[in-house]
Amino acid sequence: MPTIYQRLLALYPETHRQQFGEEMMTVFEQVRADIRDKGASARAAFCVREIAGLLNGAIGEHMRAFVGSEAGFSFSTRRFTMRNGFRFPKSTAVLMTLILLGVIVAIRKGEAIAYSLPRVNPQLPPIQPVHSMLLSGIPLVFMCFYAAGLVGWAILFALRRSGVHRLAEMSGERK
Amino acid sequence: MDMLPLTEPVLLILMSLAGQPRHGYSILKDVERMSDGRVLLSTGTLYGALRRLLDDDWIERFEERESSRGRQAYRLTVLGRRSLQQEVDRMKQLTRLAALRVAARES
Repeated sequence: MPTIYQRLLALYPETHRQQFGEEMMTVFEQVRADIRDKGASARAAFCVREIAGLLNGAIGEHMRAFVGSEAGFSFSTRRFTMRNGFRFPKSTAVLMTLILLGVIVAIRKGEAIAYSLPRVNPQLPPIQPVHSMLLSGIPLVFMCFYAAGLVGWAILFALRRSGVHRLAEMSGERK
Repeated sequence: MDMLPLTEPVLLILMSLAGQPRHGYSILKDVERMSDGRVLLSTGTLYGALRRLLDDDWIERFEERESSRGRQAYRLTVLGRRSLQQEVDRMKQLTRLAALRVAARES
């Protein structure tokens, strides 16, 4: 875990690492020592909390460093008040995914039933669900594009040629 | 300064520093204690908030005789204390109003 923590800490901007890196590592080790004697679930929760906190913090610090203000990802001092029109709870995304899965399963079942039924009229072909390919194809294509985008971004980030680095260079030149 | 409502973790961090200067670990533990274990800050969240509070001059680094880079203490500034007091006053007013409204509804 300390190795993972150090790797994730490296995602922060250099200024933040210089300012707080050592402190963060020390505090992390202290909390880790506290949690060592506790149960597996407490240790797992600690790991998830730390990883999520670091990822969120790193994104927020990069956004702040390059945009010049607190972005939505970062940990703001003040509460971000969402307008009603933009409220979209995370549970809704989970429910929507479950509903989509349910629809796909229902279509597959329908297909199986259609094939298993005796063909009363041999002249008619079995009913083919039109949307089954569409439903399974769209998420697949979306995931492929998403994965390709992530890989591309990771390569650019590793080469320090991503948008955030370019913006950093621009803001550095401005100063 | 516009005094918008503070998030609970930030409010707890400020409350933790109101009594005495504290190190990061001490703040984490104090926040956990004050919230009865409900608010568990990660180090990423804590130092994100501390950085922001330092930028806003609500807190400052507190130099200790035996401080190392891994053990930096922080304390509230005058501005931070005033902001915390404003937030407490705002919450008091809100709870008073809420109590009145609830009482009116019950009667």
